[in-house]
Amino acid sequence: MAEKLLEWHFSFFAMGSPCQLRIYLEEKEEAEEVSYRIQSEVARLEQLYSRYRDDSVVTKINRSAGKAALTVDPETAGLLDYAQTVYEQSDGLFDITSGILRSAWDFKSGIFPEPVQIEKILPLVDWSMVEWNSPNIRLPEIGMELDFGGYVKEYAVDAAARLCGELGVSHGMIDLGGDIHIIGPHPDGSAWHVGIRNPRSPEDAIVSVDLQSGAIASSGDYERFMEVDGKRYCHILNPKTGWPCEGLAAVAVAAPICLLAGTASTIAMLKGREAGPEWLKELGLPYFWVATDGESGGDLV
Amino acid sequence: MSAGNGQKKKASRTLIALAGSALGLPGISGKALAVTQGEAEVDYSYSLYQEEDMPREKQSGATSDTERYTIDTHQLRVVRPWGDTYDLTVDLLYETMSGASPWYVLPNPDPNQSEKPLQVMSGASGIEDTRKDVLAKVRKIYDDSAGAVSLGYSTEDDYTSVNMALEGVWELDDKQKTVTLGIGGSDDDIEPVDTHRFPGRVEHETKTSISAYAGLSMVIDAQTIVQSSVSFTRQNGFLSDPYKLAFVSGTLVQDSRPDGREQFTWLTRLRRFFPEWLGALHADYRFYDDDWGVESHTIDLGWHQNFSGQLQLIPSIRYYTQSQAYFYAPYYNAPRNDNFASSDYRLSPYGALSFRLDAVKKIGTWAFRLGWEMYDSDSDLAIKSVKVENPGLIEFSNFRISISKYF
Repeated sequence: MAEKLLEWHFSFFAMGSPCQLRIYLEEKEEAEEVSYRIQSEVARLEQLYSRYRDDSVVTKINRSAGKAALTVDPETAGLLDYAQTVYEQSDGLFDITSGILRSAWDFKSGIFPEPVQIEKILPLVDWSMVEWNSPNIRLPEIGMELDFGGYVKEYAVDAAARLCGELGVSHGMIDLGGDIHIIGPHPDGSAWHVGIRNPRSPEDAIVSVDLQSGAIASSGDYERFMEVDGKRYCHILNPKTGWPCEGLAAVAVAAPICLLAGTASTIAMLKGREAGPEWLKELGLPYFWVATDGESGGDLV
Repeated sequence: MSAGNGQKKKASRTLIALAGSALGLPGISGKALAVTQGEAEVDYSYSLYQEEDMPREKQSGATSDTERYTIDTHQLRVVRPWGDTYDLTVDLLYETMSGASPWYVLPNPDPNQSEKPLQVMSGASGIEDTRKDVLAKVRKIYDDSAGAVSLGYSTEDDYTSVNMALEGVWELDDKQKTVTLGIGGSDDDIEPVDTHRFPGRVEHETKTSISAYAGLSMVIDAQTIVQSSVSFTRQNGFLSDPYKLAFVSGTLVQDSRPDGREQFTWLTRLRRFFPEWLGALHADYRFYDDDWGVESHTIDLGWHQNFSGQLQLIPSIRYYTQSQAYFYAPYYNAPRNDNFASSDYRLSPYGALSFRLDAVKKIGTWAFRLGWEMYDSDSDLAIKSVKVENPGLIEFSNFRISISKYF
């Protein structure tokens, strides 16, 4: 049986990132069908939760800010419940209302926003103000916005991996822009070799991990940033200060599902140089961190 | 997981909270099979059932074709979760029927046409009746099982029925198997109308029914589910049709059937998804047998084709074939020793073919469904070859539209 399995590799672009699907199946047609279904599922989630799309659920919620409550479907409700849990568990650091802060930050310009700009936005950032009574949601202030960008890609990875399993794939992996879920080991039982990006040279791996199952996700200051006076200011913004997180350059976390791994690594980034690694140690998932001063730690590798 | 340094870690409260919340997401958990609390839902559906006219030449003494049954049905269903572990379903039905129905069958006076008896229709002026039906079901959901109690009441001009059922569902083998067990019963009162005009008609009768069923649903692989169930029903009391007569050696007698009936049904359904077609095959087979000698087989094949934009088209075909009840005859040249007599086409040997086309479109939390069915029955499709076809066999079309809103 196993000798007939061939590896199929599909590259595509979704959710603003290069993605790849690697699966073992006997027939090319089968593999193409799985790839089509996976890409459709990712596209479905992108369409539902992208704030750049006019027809997305997120856009609808954001447009109704300050108006009447909106009823959402069960999947969106699940994601909002998750946002609520993450907000509570991160003491308010992971906050899906914080996306609007990005309007103050232009990372291409290399110029800091005026303090008054941030002061104007901060009152619109706080998940606890959102009236979320599943399945009804209401953003009480005009201008408030939700942004699922902080975790929908990870959720999509998990959904895609689950779908692969349902479609009969038992060996493979899915990678959406560095968020990875292992569907199953190579047919000979060997693990997948997964590299974690070096935050100062993102094309290279700083360390690599062998994974037979589960997921891995990382956050870092390398995705979008600007440097001012030699200091890097990245796109992960603290909802309490309105300023980029500091201290850590990258965090990777492994977990049974990618959504957990992704939120844990983002929370650690936001907690910073001292509290981040401490929190990860408490959390109980394998992790790895690199600080901006070059130091690193964790038990993942 | 091979990652990590091998040290066993204890999951923190934070991790438990995050994982608990993440696992509730449909993309991660997949859709659970059966035992989940119902989402709040409201459905309304309307259907128009229309039987073809009874042609003049199949009738005795008719000067024109006769309009048969038309049934208008409105149905409303409301499902709502109740607390964390209960859900409640209420079904309401309102139905109006009008038209003529087969009354009795006469031998053809033309000796060369003896294989073509003639139908006499009742209520050519138009029978009208209204049925109102309410059913409430409460379900309690446990970790891997659920229990439900339902209570129903149904009333027509000449009929009232109270029914009750208990059902249990258990999930086994990590949700790969689902076992369902149920029992139910009903108590019916029959008070036919127009008894002063038809002295032979019964005034007040009752019947009871008890049934039990057991089912097993199995996930065979990622694309295939098989469900199989058996059910047994025992009916007692007045099982004849108070409005029908039978022609027995020159006289008309009331339709008369045994006062007990035992029915057995075995149903097997196959659901197989074909990823390469984005479609699913639904194949059902039903076997039915009772102690009146009626045996039937039903094969139902449907193809659920998915298209982009949450659109689904479902063409399907159903084949049905049955044998007759032992005491049935289109008419009787001599009374039977047991004195039973019925010329009801539903107890006659026949078969039927029906074609259906359904379309389902989902838009956000709304679902719209349109369906159309065409049905024709014929004695040529019976289990054994039939000499004399019952002239009352029907042909009908059914149109259905429904709107669902999920919350």
